[in-house]
Amino acid sequence: MGSRAEGLEERLKRSLRRLKWEMDPFSWSQLFIVLAAFAAFMLIPLGMVIVRSFYTSGGFTLDSLKLVLTDDYYFPLRVHLTSDFPFISMEGVRGSLYHVVEYTRPTGEVVKIIYITGWDFGVLVNSLVVATSTAILSTVLGFTLAFIFAKYKFPGAEALRIISLIPLLSTPFVGAIGLKRMIVSDGVLNVLFHDILRVIPFKVEITGLPAVIMVQTLIFYPIVMLNAYTALISLDPSLEEQAINMGASGFRLFRTITLPLATPGVEAGALLVFILALEDLGTPIVFKGTVAEKVLTFQIFNRIFTPAGLISQEATTLALILLVISAVVFVAVRRYVSLRRYAMLGKGGIWRPRRRRLSNKTVVLVYVFVFAVLFFATLPHIGVTLLAFSKEWGTTILPESYTLNNFKAVLADEQARRSIVNSLVYSGIATVFMVILGVSAAYLVSRKKGVPGIEALDLLVTLPIAVPGIAVATGLFLTYLGTPLSPTISGAPLLIASYTVRKIPFTVRSVFSGLEQTDKALDEVAWTVGASRTRTFFTIILPLIALNVLAGGMLSFIYSMSEVSTGIVVGDANHRDAPMTWKMYDMLFHGLAGGLAQPAAMGFMLMGLQFVFIVGANLLLRKRATALIGV
Amino acid sequence: MVKIRTVDLTKRFGEVVAVDHVSLEIQHGEFFTLLGPSGCGKTTFLRCIAGLELPDEGKVYFDDQEVTEVPPHKRDTGMVFQNYALWPHMNVFDNIAYGLKIRGYKKEEIRKRVMEVLKLVKLEGMENRTPHQLSGGQQQRVALARAIVINPKVLLFDEPLSNLDAKLRIEMRAELKRLQRELGITTLYVTHDQEEAMSISDRIAVMNQGRVMQIGTPQEIYKHPKNEFVARFIGQGTFLYGEVVAKDGERLKVRLEAIEKEVLAVPSHPEANPDVGDRVLVMVRPESFELAPETRDSNEFEVEVYHVSFLGNSLRVQARAGDAPFVIEVDPDEEVPVGKSIKVYASPELTLAIRL
Repeated sequence: MGSRAEGLEERLKRSLRRLKWEMDPFSWSQLFIVLAAFAAFMLIPLGMVIVRSFYTSGGFTLDSLKLVLTDDYYFPLRVHLTSDFPFISMEGVRGSLYHVVEYTRPTGEVVKIIYITGWDFGVLVNSLVVATSTAILSTVLGFTLAFIFAKYKFPGAEALRIISLIPLLSTPFVGAIGLKRMIVSDGVLNVLFHDILRVIPFKVEITGLPAVIMVQTLIFYPIVMLNAYTALISLDPSLEEQAINMGASGFRLFRTITLPLATPGVEAGALLVFILALEDLGTPIVFKGTVAEKVLTFQIFNRIFTPAGLISQEATTLALILLVISAVVFVAVRRYVSLRRYAMLGKGGIWRPRRRRLSNKTVVLVYVFVFAVLFFATLPHIGVTLLAFSKEWGTTILPESYTLNNFKAVLADEQARRSIVNSLVYSGIATVFMVILGVSAAYLVSRKKGVPGIEALDLLVTLPIAVPGIAVATGLFLTYLGTPLSPTISGAPLLIASYTVRKIPFTVRSVFSGLEQTDKALDEVAWTVGASRTRTFFTIILPLIALNVLAGGMLSFIYSMSEVSTGIVVGDANHRDAPMTWKMYDMLFHGLAGGLAQPAAMGFMLMGLQFVFIVGANLLLRKRATALIGV
Repeated sequence: MVKIRTVDLTKRFGEVVAVDHVSLEIQHGEFFTLLGPSGCGKTTFLRCIAGLELPDEGKVYFDDQEVTEVPPHKRDTGMVFQNYALWPHMNVFDNIAYGLKIRGYKKEEIRKRVMEVLKLVKLEGMENRTPHQLSGGQQQRVALARAIVINPKVLLFDEPLSNLDAKLRIEMRAELKRLQRELGITTLYVTHDQEEAMSISDRIAVMNQGRVMQIGTPQEIYKHPKNEFVARFIGQGTFLYGEVVAKDGERLKVRLEAIEKEVLAVPSHPEANPDVGDRVLVMVRPESFELAPETRDSNEFEVEVYHVSFLGNSLRVQARAGDAPFVIEVDPDEEVPVGKSIKVYASPELTLAIRL
């Protein structure tokens, strides 16, 4: 009778019987639309990326891969295997960590500027360096903050914790515009610390890859922080108390009990930050013209179109490499996330986390640290805000005067106006699709656990988290250029499709958590009194998870609005149908004399919308919300 | 009204066999209870009857119609869940009316029926409350009303009373039984509470590890347990292992292991009649003992009393003979000295031998 002994045919028969039992026509149609949408706008395009990396009109070739792996521009490092002692040659590495420039002001004062530029390891390694550094820094910052907020009691802790989440309200693209204004040699930081306070005898300008890392860290650390915080406060305090009881204390307690128990959550957060940093296109774009543009995303974006109007195989190959790195990391995330889910099952009730009061001296230290972090973390947002309202802003710490003219200018620009409407319309339509597809997928995954292979569907709908937007954009172009869906005909289809498949995880996650919190007995009892599964779905399940659907839809909508990769690529191909993010990019580099102010005004609008929607979604779900922004 | 029959019903979860080849029949209008410890498969069995689980093997019949793979909404059952499963987004009226709406009744008819059933479960005037405005007992009644208002062929109860406090539970028991008798609906009831099962059921199936250990009326199961599991699971008793050394028709002579003694006993269940040489479990129910005024030839035990508790209508005496614990119930007016030895007697007819 053992299931191992039975034959394949028997197992197949059993699976089919199971399938017939679990799935009715309604469930089948739900499954079908999800699979169809993902196949058409995610799987086939990504498949095209793989295929076109190796096939040209001349047949199979490794030339492109060879080029990318041997060209000094992409990969200048050389592995020397021939000598007695194999080593990697660093000869190809260019640049230095910093260089110093001195100049004399008209007043006769000598000013020393230290430019922190970082090395250039070539495109491939640069991307890894950026993603790794951002992940590590975000983890250190995020975990430390989470630990402070989870374990210590001090006045204002809750308010500071909420303020430290502010970066979640923006995207690297918008944040980079704000921060850039802060960290250039005439920027706010130098004016403040060098010119006014005179605490630093030289000016510092952060640029190139270090600037990218800085922006990304300041935007992404809350992801680790949320994960770590959730893990730390949901630790059963009795576990720690038990250890204390047995004589552990201080650092030993932290190292042997607290840290290992919180590790899965933190690691999941760190890996997610790695992926987000790797696939970020917005920040490199803002720092275009420096080494910052020598990363995978920017290079793909920059050469997606060849002058001949075809898609360059080089870009395709780079996209493939990006995809492979993300996929490897994604597999790791999945492992840790499922671990975390498991760990949360074990938790019996709700307890008051153990929080320690601090001595006055330590409180001061904690405040210094927290305020320092929050100062830097809010810089991008303050920067965008000030820029958006600034009339003239020279070498002073704050703009000399304020105005609404930047907004007026944006709204007076016909193309900008249209881009706002485009973004709202595309995101709105995409949200309708995301809700339909996301609710279907979440329902199947939550309620049809008996269906063989349903885990694969779960994997599929969370996959977009790990798929770099620029790779999707490349794939969509490869697949649909020259078809009726071609972006050169209309930008709408591909943008809506791309928003839908890329941002659906937010809806799925929210709806799924709602379903998991809804007792299955509520469905079952409806069946027993005679309601078909379809009817139960619409009259019982949907009303019960309505809030989660709404909140998830709101998050999906707002992240569609701020989507960068596909938006800019499609916008470049078709200005008329371009979204807001493309228009911001366009203003940054091809705009009029406005400089950063007008893109900042658009960024500010985006940030404002994002603020309203994220806070709204969190209010709707109250305490359940941490689960939404986390992995 | 319908007769439920299962044939070799089997349900596995991975390697665990939750229900293991269970065949049984529930008669028209019968109140049938599945009783067993948690994890014995009773709820899984019930869910197979409701259509909420697909059995791996075996068949389910309602009368002569096979329903094994019929989806739950076409089975015409009414089910009451352990946690009541009231829909929080509907008020009491809508909760109860839901099944009627699906059946396409007219508005007035629905109203009439809901009001009737509210009266039946004594919740008149509560129809506009939402579930969270109700006490546990009231929620229970709404769940019951929702199940019976559609006049189902079968009523299914999954530990419906286990979330109520003790007093309410006893009230609701009587209430449930009354309703079931009035409505005459075939009922399958699942519980781990043997007292509840005894007081409410026409017949009981005692389950353990996915198998049915015994089916019978409460009296049969209490008085004639078929095996050690049922004997120990149902009620209290004094249990002594031994070996059958002689047999004379229905009379058995058993040599005990813990005490050097031979006792006379009868087979507990006709289908489990032990032979000479068989190892048996000898069981005496507490109330089957009497204090022995005069010396008897057999079945008399000298036991040392270590605890006496007054239960109102009886005295419960806990005592020991050697290593063997005895539970004895005697008249509340008797004086039983703690720490002293007393003599007790159990007649051979009430001394039951269970084949092991």
